[in-house]
Amino acid sequence: MSRTSALARLAAAYGAHQIRRRVLRRPPPGAERLLETYAPDRLLPLRSAERDVLPAASRCINCGLCSVVAARVDGLRPADLASSYLRDYPRLALARSEVLGWSGASETAADPVLPSPSLAAAAAACPVGVPLEGVLEMIRRLASS
Amino acid sequence: MSVAPSAHDVIVVGGGVTGAGVARDLALRGVSVLLLEKGDWGGGTSGGSSWMIHGGPRYLEFDWETTRLSAQDAGHIVRIARHLVHRIAFLIPVLPGDRNNLERMETAMEVYDRFQPLKLSNTHVRLTREEALAIEPGLTPNLVGAVTMEEWGVDPHRLAWANVLDAVEHGARALNHARVSSLLRDQRSVIGVRYVRDGAEVEARARVVVNAAGPWVPELAAMAGQEVRLRPAKGIHIVFDRRISNFALSGEAIDGRDLLVVPHGPITVVGTTDDDFYGDLDSVDVLPDEVDYLLQGVERIFPAIREYRAVRATTGVRPTLHRWRLYEDDLSRRYEVIEHPAAPGLVSIAGGKLSMYRLMAEETADAVCRHLGLGSQNECSTWNIPLPGAEAERPSAAELAAEFGTTELAAARLLKRHGSRASAVLKEDTRHGRITCRCDPLLEAELVYAVRHEQVSGLADAFRRVSLAAGPCAGTACVQRAAEVVGRELGWSPAQRLEAAEDYWRGSWLGRAAVIDSRGWAQEELRRAAAPRVGAR
Repeated sequence: MSRTSALARLAAAYGAHQIRRRVLRRPPPGAERLLETYAPDRLLPLRSAERDVLPAASRCINCGLCSVVAARVDGLRPADLASSYLRDYPRLALARSEVLGWSGASETAADPVLPSPSLAAAAAACPVGVPLEGVLEMIRRLASS
Repeated sequence: MSVAPSAHDVIVVGGGVTGAGVARDLALRGVSVLLLEKGDWGGGTSGGSSWMIHGGPRYLEFDWETTRLSAQDAGHIVRIARHLVHRIAFLIPVLPGDRNNLERMETAMEVYDRFQPLKLSNTHVRLTREEALAIEPGLTPNLVGAVTMEEWGVDPHRLAWANVLDAVEHGARALNHARVSSLLRDQRSVIGVRYVRDGAEVEARARVVVNAAGPWVPELAAMAGQEVRLRPAKGIHIVFDRRISNFALSGEAIDGRDLLVVPHGPITVVGTTDDDFYGDLDSVDVLPDEVDYLLQGVERIFPAIREYRAVRATTGVRPTLHRWRLYEDDLSRRYEVIEHPAAPGLVSIAGGKLSMYRLMAEETADAVCRHLGLGSQNECSTWNIPLPGAEAERPSAAELAAEFGTTELAAARLLKRHGSRASAVLKEDTRHGRITCRCDPLLEAELVYAVRHEQVSGLADAFRRVSLAAGPCAGTACVQRAAEVVGRELGWSPAQRLEAAEDYWRGSWLGRAAVIDSRGWAQEELRRAAAPRVGAR
């Protein structure tokens, strides 16, 4: 098929589209349909506040100082938070028991991360300022959503 | 050093996904095949792609048949490689002044929806400005609305390897790091190749030689005195350290070209450029201007892109068919199977794209079978025979993790690469739970398996086969450990293990240099400080 023919067919499709838009009722809200379609693939929207956490998490250089200060925080290695867990968000559900399974934690996303003195100490030791508390909160939210 | 010559029906030169696909197709038809790759499987143009099996909506402006063929073949690939592919949901924000306004963009998606069932994909959705910003708050507030589109993602290295593996399991012989140095001739006819591997020169004879060398097709054809004209086009991609979004994004570059921001598992790939290339195909650099070109385009739809950390860049040269008087982006991605009457016994496959590799391989294999005088009983079956790992039901990540005492995340990564064969990988080594690379995470057992069964003979091969050091630390935490594991398997001395690690870092630096920022430099410094040196006291 020539390019002329391809463009003619697109033009016809455009006409049909305009008629549908004017004559027929508009389709239901798209966001709902989109999220429903991709729920099995766990393609969840990120939140505005989480947008600030991600670039900060990218500062992690895997020096391991946080894990020297606190080997485990609620069962997790602090050094793994930014460089391992917070990368493949749809798969975080698989780490649900690791991320949420520690004693004292509620398994609902609505609950904030409990203040953890050792995590704060680990974050304070970070030479590049990775906000470990925010990173853990985001991991918990994505793992439990 | 001489090695006895071998004889085959067909020699396929080029171990990208197309060459591997040709070898698989012929092996499934019962043809004796030798597949040769000068580097590693999928390490050239295939690996430098956008990692997508797509239908090609942009071809709707040129040729709907290309879109249909592409979507149809994408459907075949999705069916035969189910464990290797993942859905990619694109958000296409429309901004004031865009080449296509929202109505035109939705029209294109409505048309594309007709082809989506061919590749088992969902149809589009239209989003208001507010909906789009709720789905992806990082988008520019300047947008007027958005539409969505679905494509499939795939790791091209694993796809190429799966084809190689299936070819081998059906009787083919496949050698990586085997560079063809010349063609064997009998007067005009091509009767085989001479190749170099491990320092030895070897002759291999065949009734047909398939030239599937991608951008190197003209070079190989010239060895038989044949001219194949390509218009090689360089494309770079920037790889970010994590998913920037769960949704892929599409926007326009300054010259109106489409740019993509695509999450693939734990990384994001941004691309691509498309520039005529006249340089050395074996040494393709990434230029800072090319990186800026991509970031500038993405910045328009996702303003904070420069705050995210790029960890490396990839390059590839497309073997585009030759045409005068067209801009690079307007060149067709169609392909051509070339039979060379002046050099009987040589068949070249040129052009095309990753999404159509299986179809390209089928048509090439058809041409080869005609040369071999094979009849219709030797029909192509690659469209419905699953690739290794897709033949049976996969266990769940939870089941695999429980059986072998590893984490579900590690099990999921394994399932993604090996599908139903993941258990066999873990049974290979008793230290199945040990993690070599925490960023991804990569199990030691998988690395051992890759050396024993997947033709991994170095750390760069391991990067392609099992994503070694593909995470944000650039190998700081894992390359030396991996060198120990690989070295143990291959009998390397301690000094050789250190050398292998240094070689890996030196080689991969070329990919990092063009995109590194202050965070990357800090990582480099740490890596250099932590790494012992060969000869250091």
